[in-house]
Amino acid sequence: MSDLIYSLSWAQPELWLAGFALAGALVGAWVKDRGAGLLSGAGCLVLIVAGVLAFQFQPRTAQTLFGGALVIDAYAGVAKALIALSAAATLWLGADHFRRTNEQRFELPVLTVLAVLGMFIMASANDLITLYVGVELQSLAAYVLAAWRRDDAKSSEAGLKYFVLGAISSGLLLFGASYIYGFTGSLRFADIAAAAPAGGVGVTFGLVLLLCGLAFKVSAAPFHMWTPDVYEGAPTPITAFFAAAPKLAALVLIGRVLYGPFAELTPQWGQVIAALAALSMAVGAVAALLQTNLKRLMAYSSIANMGFALMPLASGDPAGLTAALLYMAIYLPTTIGVFALIVALRRDGRAAEEIDDLAGLAARRPFMAALFTILMFSLAGIPPLAGFWGKWVVFMAAVRGELVWLAIVGGIAAVIAAAYYLRVLAAIWFKPGGAALQAPSATAMTVAFIGAALSFPILVLALGWLERVANTAVGASF
Amino acid sequence: MLAAIAFYAMAATAIVSAFAVISARNPVHSVLFLILTFFSAAGLFVLMGAEFLAMLLVVVYVGAVAVLFLFVVMMLDVDFVELRQGFLNYLPVGALVALALFAELGLVASAAGQAGAGRAALSLGGPGEVTNAEAIGRVLYTDYLLVFQLAGLILFVAMLGAIVLTLRHRPGVKRQDIAKQVGRRRSEGVELKDVRPGQGIV
Amino acid sequence: MIETFIVLAPLIAAAIAGLGQRFLGDKLAMALTTGVLGLCCALSLYTFAAFTWGDAPERVTELFRFIDVAGFTSTWSVRIDSLSVVMLVVVTVVSFLVHVYSIGYMADDPHRARFFSYLSFFTFAMLALVTANDFLQMFFGWEGVGVASYLLIGFWYQNKAPNDAAIKAFVVNRVGDFGFALGIMACFFAYGSIRFDEVFAQAAAHPQLMIGVGDISFRAVEVVSGLLFIGAMGKSAQFFLHTWLPDAMEGPTPVSALIHAATMVTAGVFMVCRCASLYELAPYAAGFVTIIGATTAIFAATVGLAQNDIKRVVAYSTCSQLGYMFFAAGVGAYNVAMFHLFTHAFFKALLFLGAGSVIHGLHHEQDMRRMGGVRGPMTITWAMMLIGTLALIGFGVPGFFGLAGFYSKDAAIEAAFAGIEAGRIGAQWAFWAGVGAALLTSFYSWRLLFMTFEGTYRGAAHGHGEHHGHGETHSAHHQQSGAAPAHESPMVMLAPLFVLAFGAVFAGWFFAPYFVGEHAGAFWRETLHVSHGHHEFPDWVIWAPLAVTGAGFVFAVFFYLLNQGLGARIAAAGGPVHAFLYNKWFFDEIYDFIFVKGGRALGNFLWRWGDQRTIDGLGPDGVSASTRFASRQMRRAQTGFVYHYSFIMLIAAVAFGAFAIWAGAQPANGAAP
Repeated sequence: MSDLIYSLSWAQPELWLAGFALAGALVGAWVKDRGAGLLSGAGCLVLIVAGVLAFQFQPRTAQTLFGGALVIDAYAGVAKALIALSAAATLWLGADHFRRTNEQRFELPVLTVLAVLGMFIMASANDLITLYVGVELQSLAAYVLAAWRRDDAKSSEAGLKYFVLGAISSGLLLFGASYIYGFTGSLRFADIAAAAPAGGVGVTFGLVLLLCGLAFKVSAAPFHMWTPDVYEGAPTPITAFFAAAPKLAALVLIGRVLYGPFAELTPQWGQVIAALAALSMAVGAVAALLQTNLKRLMAYSSIANMGFALMPLASGDPAGLTAALLYMAIYLPTTIGVFALIVALRRDGRAAEEIDDLAGLAARRPFMAALFTILMFSLAGIPPLAGFWGKWVVFMAAVRGELVWLAIVGGIAAVIAAAYYLRVLAAIWFKPGGAALQAPSATAMTVAFIGAALSFPILVLALGWLERVANTAVGASF
Repeated sequence: MLAAIAFYAMAATAIVSAFAVISARNPVHSVLFLILTFFSAAGLFVLMGAEFLAMLLVVVYVGAVAVLFLFVVMMLDVDFVELRQGFLNYLPVGALVALALFAELGLVASAAGQAGAGRAALSLGGPGEVTNAEAIGRVLYTDYLLVFQLAGLILFVAMLGAIVLTLRHRPGVKRQDIAKQVGRRRSEGVELKDVRPGQGIV
Repeated sequence: MIETFIVLAPLIAAAIAGLGQRFLGDKLAMALTTGVLGLCCALSLYTFAAFTWGDAPERVTELFRFIDVAGFTSTWSVRIDSLSVVMLVVVTVVSFLVHVYSIGYMADDPHRARFFSYLSFFTFAMLALVTANDFLQMFFGWEGVGVASYLLIGFWYQNKAPNDAAIKAFVVNRVGDFGFALGIMACFFAYGSIRFDEVFAQAAAHPQLMIGVGDISFRAVEVVSGLLFIGAMGKSAQFFLHTWLPDAMEGPTPVSALIHAATMVTAGVFMVCRCASLYELAPYAAGFVTIIGATTAIFAATVGLAQNDIKRVVAYSTCSQLGYMFFAAGVGAYNVAMFHLFTHAFFKALLFLGAGSVIHGLHHEQDMRRMGGVRGPMTITWAMMLIGTLALIGFGVPGFFGLAGFYSKDAAIEAAFAGIEAGRIGAQWAFWAGVGAALLTSFYSWRLLFMTFEGTYRGAAHGHGEHHGHGETHSAHHQQSGAAPAHESPMVMLAPLFVLAFGAVFAGWFFAPYFVGEHAGAFWRETLHVSHGHHEFPDWVIWAPLAVTGAGFVFAVFFYLLNQGLGARIAAAGGPVHAFLYNKWFFDEIYDFIFVKGGRALGNFLWRWGDQRTIDGLGPDGVSASTRFASRQMRRAQTGFVYHYSFIMLIAAVAFGAFAIWAGAQPANGAAP
């Protein structure tokens, strides 16, 4: 009993989220969609509170809760803070957007918060079942969110595709988990860590299948195929949500699995992660070149960026995990900022999502064009913007981890990727004409501005602090 | 001996019927083969001493899920023959991938024979001591409390999702509102009109 | 202090005149630069006098540290010693006179301020060169005068010919400069310093030091001296790298006088004399200097015979005289080389400015075939040119009196003769080439004088209407037959001629004791080592130059005075010898074929095949094309069908699984530490 109370006291952020979800559903059923706005605001608040709690109240040493199912440590704390803050930003964006399009429903904050709860569980998972349950909780909510615009064929298609392919990936994940359980005899990470080196090929096989399932969640190539279709079909604020928080959660989970129970098997999984990273960077960079839709382009951009984030992990060195965490911390605000701008781009009551729609933006809306420029430059990794330092950190980590070939692939991919980021900017600054756009939503512009301000100069200035935090988090946990 | 015969019979049935699920022309037959697969799997559970799981499988999957499938298939009237037209085109590549997968599984299985790791931990406790249901019941609300609750939340999400994606409030649908009906006053229900002869109410 | 002012003042004047010409206007700009140069000139003369007759010490004023990196130090300094004071006088005097002269010569030019700014900048660069205390500052000046030369040759940039000539001068000089830069690097490599004193001390201390690549090695001092001389060949238009100098005559005539006769082209000679200590240790490099110098002397003189452009004749003459200086230096008579440099500056500037006066008077006509009979209208100019010619051919009576060239040129020839006895490499060739060139010099000089000033006017009776802007009244009496339609130049142009003529007459007689005579040791102090063993030359050696000069005069009189038109007839008859000389030994054609056309062909080949096909084809273009292709393929793979996507996922999972099994089977990877 005392274990339960102790566990619950450390699991406060999760309790806040679960409590909000249940209460929110209840209140929502009472006040109907009229209260959606208010409920969304409350959802944002709860997310921020949960994130701050997770970050502020970290145990000195890692604490295992619920009989070892969950672990609370600095690594999870940092990840949860990032997850909660980016989810809050996208929820705010979504609430505002759906209010404008008359699609607001009170389930949005509830589902978002439940998805975040799933991510929190992923970040803290300490056994295979918790891992699976966390992934499923997050995914299921995401499937529903993807099909949010249920009367829109594309949105429904996106939801269905995401669901079917996600189910397959879950199958792979479970299959792999069952192998690991079979060959190590335990679900707990600590026991697996003890048994894994002697597990032989069965454990490796299981781990690879598990990684395949998780690679789907970070949309690493070749498990990326769903990404462009879902990003394009889902409503833009939902896409923003997909692009940010779940990616970080899945990456953090991959890090926890690889550096925790399977740290001894680095020679086996290092090559797999390297292959995933290389393929993701290549596919993300090359396939985006010919895209005309901004959201599809950003989908490929996110594939490439996840490749960059996976790259340092392949070394098996905890410094690689630090680099990946740092990279994601810089990537998240940038990508949310870009999606916020896409949300803000509207014409005649419809979304303007094509690159050609950006023509003449510099003349019509110079502030928006400036924000676009900062964010795109940051994504392209042009110094001195934050994106450059993120890339710098992961490249350095890869080189230190003796993965020079991977760093070279990454360098080439970054150059190719810069081409399409610059194509967007070329349309903004040099393409004349284009029809008039509606006045952008203040909320979207605020989010975009925060994203841009973080990209330059706030995160650049805070780079040292960020690195220290990531270092301590990884150092305390692995 | 008897157990071995039963195992091979039910395993073979499971594989054959699973193949029949994807090859049957009639979708109703497919669902029925699926039910047969579930039954065979349940039989395998029983052989392993997990009778609770076996019953659960039959009750939940056969009794609820598969029957639901049947209803859906019959109601939707989807032309599955048309959907499956390209099926054979993918067969060679698919067979190749399947073959590779089986080869891998075989290799891993042979490795398992050598390693024999974690064998002991696999049993659910001796059959004579406690029943299945009791064994599960002992850990479900204690060791696996968190997971159990999270599973509940997953179901909650599923419910919410179903509602969000399908529930529609159609305008113009007349519903009963007892309180409103009871609370009606005369002034709301009756209106007096002065009718002139030969003109009617305009 | 004074010398610092002398060096820097022209730069400041150039900057003010060049950058502020819009505010100053032409008149003020000209007045400023000319005034500053006058002041510099006076101060230079004072410095020279104080150094020569007073007891002013040799000194180095360090202005600032230019480069100080990892043992490599270069200091910006002003060095005053016997060599640099001579050069200071030469540069500032000629520069000042040319400034004054240009006021008249460029009177009609709309860009006078720019012209004067360039002139002053050139003067600064030249002064920086001659007052350098290390090789890097010398190189700076070396390049600075190159830039100024480029700007001034191409001053009339609206026309094609000056532009081409400017580019040619620059490019050919680059060849030499490359050698010079290599020489400096080799010097630093071998001796660890580029300061003159330290380098000379090191070279003297380790005369047998070898440098080289792999098994091939040479004496360091030979390598350094040889490479430095390649730079001198470019700057001083010596054989093989001389082709730019005649073309440089496309620039305004005062420029030719200042840069391409008196100062810049002598920088090579100055440099060799400055490095005399090195060349004394390097007999082969010195021999190379002698041979190239002697060859240039005779070669340029032969070409000068057949040229018709008045400035080109003088330019080839300059080339030839530079050859004299070099072989004098090559045989060890550095003081003689400097002496010839000194006197040559006077009479060659005089000749150029005189030629400029003629050109000015004939409305920019430069072809001697269309001159003649100019003596009548331009008597003063004629007299000046006559003095210049006499000085150039070295007219004088041994032991009594002679014009400037008499003392210096004969000294050079005698030095070559002395070199034969001393066993100097190439001295034999230098002596005979010097005597032969003296004959040719006499011939072409008189030819120039006769063709230009004597006989009847051969130019077209061109319409003068277009030239009336000159404001001169010269149309009426020019029309009479014989006399040329010319006008005498204004006083501002003639005055510098008088000064130079005075120098051409008396400089040799007055300074011979100091440069080469009994006071030489005291005059040069420690800077130049003067060969003390005073030779008693045979009489024929002393009289030979005078004899051949007289012979040249007789030939010229025969061809161009008594039988007017004979030269033209020979030219018209063609003949391989004339064609060979007229075309300057076909140097331009050969260079054009080998370097220009060959370089262009090589460039075309590299461009089309190397760059476009290979690098672009496999590089940017090929990469971008294949990237686009890959992108298109990936877009096609994105079919939108769920079963395609899931199939790809399954294949990937199987592939990764196979990889894991394979990796697990590897014994090396199997057990992690």
